[in-house]
Amino acid sequence: MVNVLDIKLARDLWAMRTQVLSIALLIAAGIAVFVMSVSNYFALVGAMDAHYRNERFADLFASVKRAPVSLAERIREIDGAGMVEPRVSQAVRVVREDSELPISGRIISIPSSDQPLLNRLYLTGGRWVDPTQPDEVIINAAYAEARGVRPGDAIDVVLSGRLESFRVAGVALSPEFVFATRSALPLPDDRNFVILWASQEVVAAAFDMKGAFNDLVMTLAPGANKAAVVEEIDSLLAPYGGIGAYDRRELPSNRLLEDELAEQETLSIVMPAIFFGIAAFLLHVVLGRLVEAQREQIASLKALGFSKLPIALHYFKFVTAIALLGAGIGLVLGRWFAVVVIDSYRAFFRFPVLEASLDPWIAAVSVLAAILVANAAAAVAVYRIASLPPAEAMRPQVPAVTALARHIGAMSESGIPMSYLMALRTIVGRPIRTLLTISGIALAVPLVLFGLFWFDAITHMIDVAFGRIERGDAFVTFSTPVSARALYELKSVPGVMLAEGQRIVPVRLVAGHRTYRTSLVGLSDNSELKVLRDPALAPIEIPPDGLMLSRALAETLDLHIGDSVTVEVQEAKRPVLHLPVVKLSEDILGFSATMDLAALNRLLREDDLVNAAALKLDPTASHLTWQRIQAKPKIEASSVKALWLTLFDETIAGMLVVGALILAGFGLLIAVGVVYNSARVAFQERAWELASLRILGFTRAEVALILLSELVFELIVAIPIGLLVGYGLIKMIVSLRIRESFQVPVVIEPASYAIAALVVLAAAAASAFVVRRRIDTLDLVSVLKTRD
Amino acid sequence: MTLPDIPDRTPTRSAEHAVFIARGLSKVYGTGDARVFALRDISLEIRQGEFLVLLGPSGSGKSTLLNILGGLDAPTSGTARWRDHELTGASDAALTTYRREHVGFVFQFYNLIPNLTVRENVRLVAQIASEPMPPDEALELVGLSHRLDHFPSQLSGGEQQRVAVARAIVKRPDILLCDEPTGALDADTGRLVLAAIAKVNDELGTTTVIITHNSAIAGMATRVLRLSGGRIAEEEINPKRMSAGDVTW
Repeated sequence: MVNVLDIKLARDLWAMRTQVLSIALLIAAGIAVFVMSVSNYFALVGAMDAHYRNERFADLFASVKRAPVSLAERIREIDGAGMVEPRVSQAVRVVREDSELPISGRIISIPSSDQPLLNRLYLTGGRWVDPTQPDEVIINAAYAEARGVRPGDAIDVVLSGRLESFRVAGVALSPEFVFATRSALPLPDDRNFVILWASQEVVAAAFDMKGAFNDLVMTLAPGANKAAVVEEIDSLLAPYGGIGAYDRRELPSNRLLEDELAEQETLSIVMPAIFFGIAAFLLHVVLGRLVEAQREQIASLKALGFSKLPIALHYFKFVTAIALLGAGIGLVLGRWFAVVVIDSYRAFFRFPVLEASLDPWIAAVSVLAAILVANAAAAVAVYRIASLPPAEAMRPQVPAVTALARHIGAMSESGIPMSYLMALRTIVGRPIRTLLTISGIALAVPLVLFGLFWFDAITHMIDVAFGRIERGDAFVTFSTPVSARALYELKSVPGVMLAEGQRIVPVRLVAGHRTYRTSLVGLSDNSELKVLRDPALAPIEIPPDGLMLSRALAETLDLHIGDSVTVEVQEAKRPVLHLPVVKLSEDILGFSATMDLAALNRLLREDDLVNAAALKLDPTASHLTWQRIQAKPKIEASSVKALWLTLFDETIAGMLVVGALILAGFGLLIAVGVVYNSARVAFQERAWELASLRILGFTRAEVALILLSELVFELIVAIPIGLLVGYGLIKMIVSLRIRESFQVPVVIEPASYAIAALVVLAAAAASAFVVRRRIDTLDLVSVLKTRD
Repeated sequence: MTLPDIPDRTPTRSAEHAVFIARGLSKVYGTGDARVFALRDISLEIRQGEFLVLLGPSGSGKSTLLNILGGLDAPTSGTARWRDHELTGASDAALTTYRREHVGFVFQFYNLIPNLTVRENVRLVAQIASEPMPPDEALELVGLSHRLDHFPSQLSGGEQQRVAVARAIVKRPDILLCDEPTGALDADTGRLVLAAIAKVNDELGTTTVIITHNSAIAGMATRVLRLSGGRIAEEEINPKRMSAGDVTW
């Protein structure tokens, strides 16, 4: 036979369906964020691991000027070396009639007959190159997609100054270029950067590398001493112009990927923790009030002879039903968002297989957590009421008449409207409940704010990085260092208004046991197109001697102003310098080391040389300007700021928008859940009182004012607190993620604060509207005949 | 506490005109076979200043009649008019205005606002009235001047009901509608409440309607209507009214 209490349970759930649903949505929000973040994190890690494993991603990378292939044999003999694969890798330019802007690329040699040993290619289209067709290449999928290039299409490449026409045989993914980036840019530029794989013979012939290599990839044997292996390789390669072997961790694509995953890991723990924590707290508030509103029923059951246990069980079933509903919605929502977010990742993370997955354990943990948290939230209220003597519990709870409440009475003499007085009395009469409700509303604010914050941070980053630090419109690099006089040639191109030379050398910074591989940039002291900034964004002058590090880099290396750092130059004569850190700069993008151009030239014992230039272009400059610039000798690669910004918008911004919208949506859901429940329970508790007032001649609006002024008070207090908490939370989350690719500033625009506040206010207004409609349908007649 | 003396009043006050006129009031709940007639074709007039008791058992229709009088319910057929206010067919806003300007209600269970003091409960209603009496004066009238700053939970049931009476009369209503005002009280406290209501009727001339199933209260009325099965079964005019102190049950 069905337990009668269970029938009551089913009817209660139905009768309170709106409230039940809003609480379930609260739970669903927490669960959905958890499911989405955790499953996406594992999806990314799984996709990366599989790609690296299946395509045999190398452990070590090294470049040389030109070394005989026989040297590879000696490297294979190093103790700890695994597979070793010499190859030829060279920067190239791609020419496309329809591209106004320069396309740079890299060509890498592969065996024409088969996959390479390491860094194998995962073909997404077409086929492997035909050994009998020397003009065939495989290109990276990102570029192929961005430019709509298909197998069979032609691709024109400038090899050693000669224009050669190739045919695309296949399109592929490579673990080495999950993000295909050019050195200086922390983001892939898929439209204007292409990787080409061509047969060993073709590439060697084009670059005069027959029987030689200029690039080496290898794995380590199990248990190998990496540092020792690197040291041996370096000594073997040094005579051939080696610039030091490095770990895959320092490979740009992998570094960016690991950064991104580290961030995902943090967020996949921190965000759900915050979300779920807030949801759990709010659940405590709303379920507590819900149970509180049933105190007379609990008392009646006790008076009828039910013991505490079945009553407690009844309410546990009640909240468990809500929790299960919430967890169910949360799983579906979370799974759906995971798919949406993974979709937005695909343009960014290039893996052979990247699918959102929902592991059973994630679902199990979600459901369990929802049930536990919901029951814990309700337990306190159930226990308190079930412990009261029935007679006491059956009396409606009368707010305590505190000294403060009396004090408010004194205010009533001053003519404050009674409706406000009633609200104030309720507020101070039940301080704990008021505090809980205020906290609940306050906690909905940061969630919305967190979503909006990303837009502000990104806008700020772009403004600082590209408006204030990198002030040039374009950037070119030379294949070898050139005399500063070469800049005059650039300046003479019509449309180029200013050209400022930079000397960029690859370096390894060593501070104690910490090392970091980056570029050291030499800037002239009157540099206008690259201006480093202090925390207040004021320009910093380039110190005449010593090193200027970005603050985040200094922190990574645990360096302070005045400390000395060893700089191992990885180019030319590879001098080892010892330089003092004299200034710190606030960078947004990357970890930079800067010094005076003349000082750097001096330290490198070279003339006034530069190997890169920042350009300021006439806004009306046409693509002819570009063609002329590219036609200059030794121009190797170039990039254009406007293009880069578009790219940023397309990839990063797309990902952020999805994430931000989801977060803001959940914030809104939580705001509605809290405010609606709070108003609804308040209405339930006071319906009788309000109906009495209606009979006494109060209008609907007046009665609504009495009920809602409590809510208004709570909102007025809660929203500023919520904004402050939001600021604090954002600061905390940002501090958890120091990324090398870019540092996110804690910048929140006033408009974002305003929108977050308005969103919560709107949720409150909607809730108030629903409750107001209930006031309109109050049953006045029943009030005459029933006791509350 | 001594009860105020209620002077005798002659039942014949026909010279005073009717303030409330109902014609052919019927109220039906439900439809078809499940139809229940709460009121069947009732016509009545209530005259200015009279003290009317509607007497009847549960289900006799007295509450329904009071609800229609108070603008809380609409009849299924028939008309009800308060002076120049047509109550049948009036909008919710119009009925609210009617209650606000003309009607004072006293409930069986007092229905005071628990977190307002005695004085504040009365002031609450005074604030929505156009020409209220001073709240303290209303409370003095019901003999509660000494408990102005107490909260309802600190008062006895009888005291709470007298606060409710004070709250009802503070806006100087034209008609005072009392729904089983002593229903939740013992006889002694009930008499104090009845005395307060009688005093209001006497001193302010407020037309007073009490509904009750307690026939003892009928002795205080100028006129008694006995309801049964939704009809007025009997009309009785008291030649000599009892004072509240003499009512026993």
